[in-house]
Amino acid sequence: MSKRMPISVTVNGETREEYVQPRKLLVDFLREDLHLTGTHVGCEHGICGSCTVLMNDEAVRSCLMFAVQANGAELRTVEGLSKHGKLHPLQEAFQEQYGLQCGFCTPGFLMTACDLLEHGQDYTEDEIRVALSGNLCRCTGYQSIVESVQVAAEKMRKG
Amino acid sequence: MKPVSFDYFAPTTVNEAVALLEEHGEDAKILAGGQSLVPMMNFRLVRPTCLVDINQIKDLAYIHEKDDRLHIGAITRHRDLETSTLVQQCNGLLLEGVQLIGHTAIRTRGTVGGSIIHADPTAELPAILAALDGEVRLIGPNGQRTISWRDLFVTFFTTVIEPVEICDEVIIPRLPSDAGWAFEEFTRRHGDFAVAGVAAVIVTDNNDRCTDARLAITGTAPTPIRATQAELFLVGKSLTQTTLDEAGRLVSTEVEPESDVHATADYRKHLAGALTTRALQRAVARCHSRKDQQEK
Amino acid sequence: MKLQAEHVFQVSRDVLWQVLHDQTRMADWIPGCDKLEEIGPDRFAATMKIGVGAIKGTYKGTVQVTEKQEPSQYTLAVEGNAAPGFVRGKALMKLQVEDGNATRLVIDADVQVGGLIASVGQRFVSGIAKQLTRELLANIEQSLKPETTA
Repeated sequence: MSKRMPISVTVNGETREEYVQPRKLLVDFLREDLHLTGTHVGCEHGICGSCTVLMNDEAVRSCLMFAVQANGAELRTVEGLSKHGKLHPLQEAFQEQYGLQCGFCTPGFLMTACDLLEHGQDYTEDEIRVALSGNLCRCTGYQSIVESVQVAAEKMRKG
Repeated sequence: MKPVSFDYFAPTTVNEAVALLEEHGEDAKILAGGQSLVPMMNFRLVRPTCLVDINQIKDLAYIHEKDDRLHIGAITRHRDLETSTLVQQCNGLLLEGVQLIGHTAIRTRGTVGGSIIHADPTAELPAILAALDGEVRLIGPNGQRTISWRDLFVTFFTTVIEPVEICDEVIIPRLPSDAGWAFEEFTRRHGDFAVAGVAAVIVTDNNDRCTDARLAITGTAPTPIRATQAELFLVGKSLTQTTLDEAGRLVSTEVEPESDVHATADYRKHLAGALTTRALQRAVARCHSRKDQQEK
Repeated sequence: MKLQAEHVFQVSRDVLWQVLHDQTRMADWIPGCDKLEEIGPDRFAATMKIGVGAIKGTYKGTVQVTEKQEPSQYTLAVEGNAAPGFVRGKALMKLQVEDGNATRLVIDADVQVGGLIASVGQRFVSGIAKQLTRELLANIEQSLKPETTA
């Protein structure tokens, strides 16, 4: 067994100093060491997108990173979307537009959409579909998810 | 599954990285973007006992232009190429190709050097390197060497890179300013590995005759290839629809793909031809619109 | 998975047969073969390094020569196990006389690949199979050099 290595990560605004084995995947670190179980493990090979989190404001697949690689980075998970009890516009939109059923893929979609909408809010439906194409959903058939992102974009545009 | 245990190093200079490779030999593996390596490690298909993470070598992330060539540091992320104004201005083919790589999250981490050295036979960047006659620079304990794409790719997932070398730079010549270009690929779902793909570059003279044609194909061979028969055919011709169709037909006879779980050899041949014609159509249209803009 | 390959070697059929059955030279042409040890009549224990890129495995297994019909054909059975999976193959090797003191080797093989590499590494399997066939023929060509120049 390899020696544990020290890492320092800021997650949802809070800095955490922990020790991890190099082989520990970032998604498992978040879930097991930090008890942030909102990020899900779907396929473990980077296809389904349910492990998506934001690292330095950009979407990454946390099942394809080792926790040690996040040393010094700023991470945001789905738990960090709502502020002071108020839902993020994306979360409001998903709720209003029925953008989820079982909810397994939802955190991944929210973080992918967060990356998208923080870098612009004027997208065509096609552009939104392309941006979300790396996240898989088995329940909804995607239509309501696309609509949720469109509604969220509108909310965020209005500020 | 989870990866097998390994020793982890995160050097901050190229020399450190090379020294680590020398020390650990074939048991060591370079970790760049990880978008291809980590899935294999998660499946335990690959079990390096030592990982050399080069993401901390900040000197290897850059994009700059010199003497009409783009010099791209090996750990430049695909996403950085997408958003670079330099790339947008001087290499539309590279931009179009990079946008087809996987999905946003993959492009956030995936690197240019990593993608090229991984040498996936269906990848986009190796085809673009072939279309533009690009090169890579490799650094090892015995110094550095610059290799042209032709000499770099050996077969599936294999380049001439030695276990003790790392790629530190990718060099891509600028597109001629009056060139038209296009990248066409076919995937079953957006972001999947390509079944086949074509990178096309066309230059025409004032009489609308082709003076230069480049056709690089991915997915039909163990390495990216240039469809030289079709390229030679196009030079000197007027680029009518009939000519473009014939170029597509030549490509489909020239390529020799294999059948596999994703497609039969015949289908791939057909696909390569059809994608060539489409790519040429868009490249020619771009050529015309550039000429129109220059006349204004 | 079926694999077919053929190649014309510039040696007589008898010479090709001799070289292919020469136990002291088998390790030269079996792809990736590090060690070859006789463990019975026409039966060998072999260590073979096979793979492409990062997917390399050291396969420990056996090579068996059977159904010999000297000098026109025989069967080669190969079986190996490694971390990425297992490989089991049976190849019918036909030697056909060609004009100009040459011989055509026709390989007709049935290969099963299982384990990890078959379940999650499908993209690599056909590549590795083609690579092995190419290597095999190139290696035989190489090991025939003393005979072709003679």
